[in-house]
Amino acid sequence: MLLTRHSSLVTVLLRGPRVSRLLKACGVNPRHYWLLVDLFGQLSDRHEFMTQLGRSGYALKTIAWWYFVMSGIFALVCLFIQPPLTRYLSLLLAMTALFLLSLLVSETNNSLVNPVEGLVLAHQPIDGATYTAAKLTHLGRILLYVVPALNGVPALAGLALRRAPWFYPFLHMLAAFAVGLVIALFCCAWFGWLIRFVPASRLKAVGNWTELIVWMVFLWLPQAPRFLVRVHFSAWLPGPGVPRMALGEAMTALVAGSVVFGLRSLSVDYMLRVSSIVHGGSSAKGQGRRWRRSSAISGWFGGQLGRAGFEFVSQMMTRDWQFLRQVVPLAPLLIIGGVMMAPGLRVAPFSGRFTSLHVLPHACGFMLLSICNVLPYGNDYKGAWVFLLVPAGAWERFAHGVFAALWVRFIIVPHLFLLALLTWFWGIQYAALFLAYSLAVSSFYLGLELRLIEAVPFSKQPEASQGVMMLPFLIMGGLGAALAVALQHFFLFHSLASALTATAIVAAGAYFLTRSSLRSLSSSMRFNLGLVSGGSSFLYKEVNG
Amino acid sequence: MSVSEPIVEFSKVVFSYDRTEVLHEISFQLNRGEVIGLLGPNGAGKTTTLKIIAGLLAPGGGAVSVTGLPLPERAIDVKGRIGYVPETALLFESLNGQEFLELSGRLHDVEEDTLQARIHNLLETFALTSNRLRRLEGYSKGMRQKILIAAALLHNPELILLDEPLSGLDVNSAIMIKDLIAALAAEGKTIVYSSHVLDVVEKVCQRVLVIHQGNLIADASAENLKAATNQSTLEDAFRKLTDSADVDPAVARIINALRS
Repeated sequence: MLLTRHSSLVTVLLRGPRVSRLLKACGVNPRHYWLLVDLFGQLSDRHEFMTQLGRSGYALKTIAWWYFVMSGIFALVCLFIQPPLTRYLSLLLAMTALFLLSLLVSETNNSLVNPVEGLVLAHQPIDGATYTAAKLTHLGRILLYVVPALNGVPALAGLALRRAPWFYPFLHMLAAFAVGLVIALFCCAWFGWLIRFVPASRLKAVGNWTELIVWMVFLWLPQAPRFLVRVHFSAWLPGPGVPRMALGEAMTALVAGSVVFGLRSLSVDYMLRVSSIVHGGSSAKGQGRRWRRSSAISGWFGGQLGRAGFEFVSQMMTRDWQFLRQVVPLAPLLIIGGVMMAPGLRVAPFSGRFTSLHVLPHACGFMLLSICNVLPYGNDYKGAWVFLLVPAGAWERFAHGVFAALWVRFIIVPHLFLLALLTWFWGIQYAALFLAYSLAVSSFYLGLELRLIEAVPFSKQPEASQGVMMLPFLIMGGLGAALAVALQHFFLFHSLASALTATAIVAAGAYFLTRSSLRSLSSSMRFNLGLVSGGSSFLYKEVNG
Repeated sequence: MSVSEPIVEFSKVVFSYDRTEVLHEISFQLNRGEVIGLLGPNGAGKTTTLKIIAGLLAPGGGAVSVTGLPLPERAIDVKGRIGYVPETALLFESLNGQEFLELSGRLHDVEEDTLQARIHNLLETFALTSNRLRRLEGYSKGMRQKILIAAALLHNPELILLDEPLSGLDVNSAIMIKDLIAALAAEGKTIVYSSHVLDVVEKVCQRVLVIHQGNLIADASAENLKAATNQSTLEDAFRKLTDSADVDPAVARIINALRS
């Protein structure tokens, strides 16, 4: 009762004349703003609008919980180490900035670069500033969850550090929220710049690249200090004679000006570009490449229906914007993984010594875990009605085609490439055996992960909570993979005979597991389509109800 | 204000999607109180023209003004004065009919009492009262079309843009819409009606614009077009103007392909 009254009071205050005057001063129409905020909330509650993290209470709470645990462990460690207070605060603010940057760039990208609901509202008299303000309001909700989760416990724990003043927690939280607000404004401004200068039809592709760059920076950051030393960064800084304060002020003014310009760009002609933005391609090239060997696929994987599944998944993986957006974080991980595995080329795989390439089959499995998890979801999920016309007996063969698209693209092709490379370093015998083992293990992982595909690929509306739900799987998967790497090192790779035997057993296991998973996949696809046909949002009924 | 006062002015308007020019220096003027038919083959540029008038797209060249307001600079003001029924029925499917109309009316700043009265009347007119609390995802195509038309009329716009408004409607509803168009025109509204159903256009529209491959190739009444092309129906006049090929060979090709 108290909470309801409290939230009602907050609502009344937020929709009152003072906030309205502030909104008007920012060029936002208050009446339309609140209409849109209420509309987006209504659409989220009714599950029409589920892709935004800031509107999914469940996803936000789950993320907040993980951050709370992580920051709690960090605070506990710091209590033992007793770092200087300023360094402690700086570290936590840096952590907050990094986590928020990765979340908010993704959310801003999704909000502004995929405004599907904007097509319904484009002909309404709503100005760009009001629309973008309403779309980005949910970023504030993300801040309200993530900032306290990352900083609440550490702020309180800071009191136990040496020379911490009594008001330290208040100062810490204030600084953390300020950092969060700056990051949020920066993300909005950055996309404002993009919307202003990038052609509307290219915006989706550029938005994905932006997310990729953020992840690359995120993963490269631990190397930054060494890099800065190598390039003699300190030599570039102005000497003692130059007023560093003035330079700092100039830089701050430049950054602030850029942010203001970026935010203003969001309001200029956004609504005019909605149609072009929505219909823009996810990748630079509009026409996809056809797999020349797809006719061979039909021979091995279920005939014409298998070929249909293969072509459909192959084409959609490179074009569906939501799918690409969610696998973008994998790219830097793959690059870094490749760089880390490269030194392992100098160590023969069955010499009894550990080589980083031993991780290869499990890395494939990890990558496919992420891909299979997001495969059922897509931007064009409303097109799924087409599959309702497929005869019931066809699903098993279609499922074979889906499997082929994943197996050929993500396992066979990389292994063939590696065969040439590893033969150069290890000789054909070791290379072939190691890659056969890797092929078997990766296929076993894929056989297992096919069960994560719970619907026809790209036939479900993307949800903000789906990535969050994967976190425990990813952690358990990582621990499982580490255990498997240790077991294979200690028990399998000391002799060729044991490696060969293990390869045969795992390959057989992969075969039978995959057969079972394919039956399960075809059932899942049929079941999900049953849900689709039951919900008439996917079909136009030609007869009045 | 006189009937012949222009309400839409297009002057050498150019529009391109990516690098493909779809409107080539189109110029025309629509007068207040007219009912104008916009015709053309698929891909001619009709919907693009309507979207430019509606302020949804900014022209790449030339000048556009609607109700005296230049586009795209005053797009928001223009949107407040027009009603637009798009060809593709995009709706928020989790809202019910009542909610969708309320949203549309409130976004046009229609006073609440007036809004509720108009929604009630429109829903009754379109026989949707019993379905008003049902979510749009459960509406048939015809019902969705009626909701779109109702949403376009709620704020009593001066200019109404209709892109295939009869799509999905049953015969009785289609007759009602035709009568509604005539009644709105009598009230001084200007209506731009884009359709492929030429006999309806012939009956309803005072003037016809024909767009073909991005060019305006005809601007006259249906009677004058028939006379100029020496044809007895608007459909034949349209085919002659757009150099449409005889469809019989195309039909024969399809049948042969199915037989092979």
